[in-house]
Amino acid sequence: MTMVDDFELLEKNGFRLIPYKTAKNEKQALKAADDLGYPVAMKIISKEIEHKTDVGGVKTGIKSPEVLKIAYAEMMENAKGFEVDGVLIQKMARKGVELIIGGKKDPQFGHMVVLGIGGIYVEIFKDVSARICPVEGMDVEEMISELKSHPIIDGARGERPLSKKAIQELVLKTCKFMIKKDIKEMDLNPVICDHSGCDIVDVRFRR
Amino acid sequence: MKMMVKRLDRIFYPKSVAIVGATPTTNKIGNVVLKNFVEGMFDGEIYPVNPKYDEILGRRCYPQISKIAGKIDCAVLATPADTIPEIMNECAKKKVGGIVMITSGFEESGRTDIAEKIREIAVKNNMPVVGPNCLGVFNPYSKIDSIFLPMYKLERPRAGNIAFITQSGAVGSTIIDLAAYYGVGISKFISYGNATVLDESDYLEYVMNDKETKVIILYIEGVKDGRKFLEIMKKVNKKKPIIVLKGGQGRGGQAAAKSHTGNIAGSYMAYNAAFKQAKVIEADGLYELFDIVKIFNQPKPKGDGIGIITNGGGLGIITTDFVEKENLHLAEFSESTKKEIAKILPPYGNVGNPLDLVADSGVDSYKKAIEIMMNADEINVLIIVVLLQTPPMDERIIHVLTKASDDRRKPIATISVGGAYTEAYRKILERNGVPSYSSPTAAVKAVERFVTYSKYIKKLK
Repeated sequence: MTMVDDFELLEKNGFRLIPYKTAKNEKQALKAADDLGYPVAMKIISKEIEHKTDVGGVKTGIKSPEVLKIAYAEMMENAKGFEVDGVLIQKMARKGVELIIGGKKDPQFGHMVVLGIGGIYVEIFKDVSARICPVEGMDVEEMISELKSHPIIDGARGERPLSKKAIQELVLKTCKFMIKKDIKEMDLNPVICDHSGCDIVDVRFRR
Repeated sequence: MKMMVKRLDRIFYPKSVAIVGATPTTNKIGNVVLKNFVEGMFDGEIYPVNPKYDEILGRRCYPQISKIAGKIDCAVLATPADTIPEIMNECAKKKVGGIVMITSGFEESGRTDIAEKIREIAVKNNMPVVGPNCLGVFNPYSKIDSIFLPMYKLERPRAGNIAFITQSGAVGSTIIDLAAYYGVGISKFISYGNATVLDESDYLEYVMNDKETKVIILYIEGVKDGRKFLEIMKKVNKKKPIIVLKGGQGRGGQAAAKSHTGNIAGSYMAYNAAFKQAKVIEADGLYELFDIVKIFNQPKPKGDGIGIITNGGGLGIITTDFVEKENLHLAEFSESTKKEIAKILPPYGNVGNPLDLVADSGVDSYKKAIEIMMNADEINVLIIVVLLQTPPMDERIIHVLTKASDDRRKPIATISVGGAYTEAYRKILERNGVPSYSSPTAAVKAVERFVTYSKYIKKLK
């Protein structure tokens, strides 16, 4: 299973992802970026790479074909030694706060859903709250208020509050999806949210 | 399973008890348990069972269950694991009401085969089994007591309205000992060990319907059926507050995690999530269980306005700090409250919350201040800090605080920080049922849990 399979599975189950295309080579990558419109992000597709960021397999904010070419070459260099299936070109997500929405199947309680401040430092800050699935809107509100960083969600430093409706919808959807497909573990991370909605930028599953 | 839960009444209120494995050898389990009944004011029939003896502790001893003529409500089994299935069959034939199985050596020693048999026999005959591998039960109302720790080493608590349900016998015995020491009254004690037949969810359901129980303390390490547990917790907690302590909060078993979520969310996180969903109160350690449960015996607060009375400014300030840390709020005194307070303060005193009665105020000032706050609508919870070391303070304060608690108009929490003298007073307060704390942290934490729970219950209505 690659990232692309995961993306497709999510889309089939009603999750809206930011537009993306896959490319096998530089030429296809340029075409994909052109179709989607700059700026774009580029991500390595490989079954062998667990954490793309750690190996230099993610480039964001690519603004032009020239930059894309350089980024593509660099990425291929970084991924030397791994079996690579190509790259994924993704329209850049909105600017906002990075959240993680995830879940796992607990041996005693079954599926549970987790919400937290996302990004690459998730495991360091561990600012997450959890509930056993299924959950209701009320539960998600409590999950948000339990986060140490909830003032960020409520709109810190003059920013508008994030769309709680969008966050709620994603959390509920995640629970339903995990139960339906009996997912063992999953991350939607980061999910970038602003006042009007959320973009799912990356996903990871264990089925 | 429903029927079996109902039948637990025959274990908790037995008119006759058989102790299988009774022995005259002192300090053996079968001896201690028998002594509990003989010396512990149990006034039903007591039948020691052991083929090796004719008489133990002056009681006729029976070779086996079937040789007992009378009806048996409860059989306490303390014989080796291998003998259990046969004895259970005999109990079933004799229509014994229920079994308390103290014996160990089943699931925990890899003998799942015998455990399976136990379950089979119990279910087939609708015969409830507490245990095995446990301390069993204690009910101060009926005096049934299968705790195999001698009474001189482990005091038994007085009758009250707190039910203790514990998976671990060691934690259970500690709880019992501390409850007795602090004068905490209990309604039912259940140490359920391996939960082979009935589990924590069943016992929660039982105490939910138990008329003596008002508050529930639960100690668990793990549950088998998390979903059932969550649903039962939700149901029970709406009727009676559950205060839970989860042992084993480690992060084992996550080696295979592939995602961030998998890495962060250990099994404890699932428990923690379930507790939050059920709105049960989670305690952080053994002593906190007691700190919290004490205040749950008070009338529920109608709101979250806190009033603090103190005779030591600094302790009032520290208490206020914790009130803020716990996201509680100090009530704003109304004009009429302020007027009343001004009357009782010395000319140099300050009317404010926390209300500092100053060190040279005595018992009478407390009495008046408490009365004013009890009458003030803006105050829902009274935190009363009493420095017992000050010159004008004397033993009449015990009466004043006890009355404030007994009147049951508003919940109170008292704080007295100090050494041996203070602790002696605190113990009297505890025994009088007054929530008394040796630190502001503990008191305020307990108040917060109580306020939060009361809000939740109010919202349900």
